[in-house]
Amino acid sequence: MLNRLKEPWTDRRAGLLLGALACSVLAVIVFMLVFIAIKAWPSFANNGLSWFSSKGVVDQQLDAMVNSGANPSPAEYELGAWPLIYATLLTTFFATFFGLIFSLLSAIFIVEFAPERIRRVIVPVVRLLAAVPSVIYGLIGILVLAPFIGNSVITAEQKSSVQFVIPLSGTGLGVAIAVLTVMITPIMIAITVDGLHAIPRAWKEGALALGVNRWRAMWSVTVRAARPAIIAGAVLATARALGEAIMISMVAGSKGFSPNPLDGFVFFFEPVRTMAATVVENAESINAPAMQSSLYAMALVLLVGAFFLSLGSWIAKQPLKKYGTRS
Amino acid sequence: MIDPHESTARTAQTTDEPANGTMPPPIRRITLDSQPTVALPPSQDAVAIANTGDRSLAAAGRPARGVAGPERMTISGLSVYYGDNHAVKNVSLPIRQGEVLALIGPSGCGKTTLLRTLNRLTELTGSARREGLITLDGTDIDSLEVTEHRRRVSMVFQQPNPFPMSVFDNVAYALREQGSKRPKKKVLEPYVVDALQRAGLYDEVASNLDHPALRLSGGQQQRLCIARALAARPEGLLMDEPCSALDPKSTNVIEELIVELRKELAIVIVTHNLQQAYRVGDHVAFMYLGDLVEYGPTDDLFDNPKAARTRDYIGGAFG
Repeated sequence: MLNRLKEPWTDRRAGLLLGALACSVLAVIVFMLVFIAIKAWPSFANNGLSWFSSKGVVDQQLDAMVNSGANPSPAEYELGAWPLIYATLLTTFFATFFGLIFSLLSAIFIVEFAPERIRRVIVPVVRLLAAVPSVIYGLIGILVLAPFIGNSVITAEQKSSVQFVIPLSGTGLGVAIAVLTVMITPIMIAITVDGLHAIPRAWKEGALALGVNRWRAMWSVTVRAARPAIIAGAVLATARALGEAIMISMVAGSKGFSPNPLDGFVFFFEPVRTMAATVVENAESINAPAMQSSLYAMALVLLVGAFFLSLGSWIAKQPLKKYGTRS
Repeated sequence: MIDPHESTARTAQTTDEPANGTMPPPIRRITLDSQPTVALPPSQDAVAIANTGDRSLAAAGRPARGVAGPERMTISGLSVYYGDNHAVKNVSLPIRQGEVLALIGPSGCGKTTLLRTLNRLTELTGSARREGLITLDGTDIDSLEVTEHRRRVSMVFQQPNPFPMSVFDNVAYALREQGSKRPKKKVLEPYVVDALQRAGLYDEVASNLDHPALRLSGGQQQRLCIARALAARPEGLLMDEPCSALDPKSTNVIEELIVELRKELAIVIVTHNLQQAYRVGDHVAFMYLGDLVEYGPTDDLFDNPKAARTRDYIGGAFG
């Protein structure tokens, strides 16, 4: 027995060990999903599909849950989470949208146009930014950006135009999107830069040798071929934006309110609260069963959303593989 | 999703096969009693040719020499530096239409650098510096827009580098990206077909123009790259060891293509393969350590090399 252990590891043994590790990770995820689904069930069961709708005032419903007893009545489970879902979708979509534009253009600059000296500084800095804890962005958002917008950008007329619906203080959708964009862009830049670097030099040179300028060659060959990497970066960033809780909770105004696009530009000043932020803010009242179930329900929606995000990126990459190197 | 045109094409192909029940014809018939074909090692051949100066064997399989046309490009006093490394030293060469200029020499002798300089690709390397004059039809190439120059003098690389697009899009690439408006596919089609025909590839890919270019064989990919360069109607074609990644049969096809193309283009080819230089070159330039050692008509250079280094190199003494 001892002698057998002294022998070098066989591929079979290594394969079994690694396989067991991979399976255990999968098992944990499945267990988590099932556990959350069971815990979330009372909230969904008592609300039905209207859980996803906008009924009543979500903040009042949540407050009622805190004070419900150990055995809440079905009425105390009542929740219409649409404002929270809407806020999550808005912040994630806009942050990913702006992040995609900024990161692609910055990555093209870094890879193709930046002088070597600048590149040597900018790439490590971008990687460092990708690792900054989100609470720091939240701090800057709430201490610098929100007061600035509240005092200098929102006009008195804009405040009075919606004063009977919602008070505007500075924190809100716009600040949340801005800070979230700043937070997710570095990771997108880093992945896009790697993707663009991985494109064979020969393709770019081939395009240049045909008399195409660098800008056109970049778009028509390099970026085209790097689309899978760009999508991968965007999905990773979207997942981060989807689950961001603390920072959003600090800068988004923390109100279960659905901003109205018909309000024009004021739309971006209106406060929101995402699902992840709601979970974090109500964690202290988690012992109330109604609240607990509602928070688990939001967690389940986020989890399923992240799953569909991965699925969507996989589907989006399929047609791109047709002309790729893999046959 | 299944493309309806594709599926009909597939059924059309399968109808040629025998009806169900009979075996499909074998891909290759194996005959047992035929004489085995034994390939002679080519290196011995080359050495023999080089040593004895008897080139009748190679000459027999060689196309007729081209007729020298007008001088399209002139290189005079060209030097290229990479930082402190003097890669090309004071080289002067004429490049004529109707002829193939073959650049030979050992690795690192500056022949690829010289070729890349003619396409102004060395300008992409930050440390590269150029001295001397290159003219295209009498105009200094520095006074031309770099994209226009590259359009007029196109380049084919050592490794086939088709883009990850369809065959059609590859050939149409230069045409599409040149103007500010992207022409319609219908408008481009005759040009694409013409370029593919000139590159001798059209018959092989005619029904697969929308297939991925990266799934073609190596030789087809290289001819696709030539077609891609030809589509922009260049006046000069620079080829950097275009056959070094290919098998002998594909090499042969491309050499025939080069000989065909030299009528309308000025061609410069860099090659490690002396026999190839002998077969396709009308003039040969031998470079060594950045110097142009000898330049002359192919037969003169191979039969009566004037410089000792040339004699040693084609004799196989170093390389």
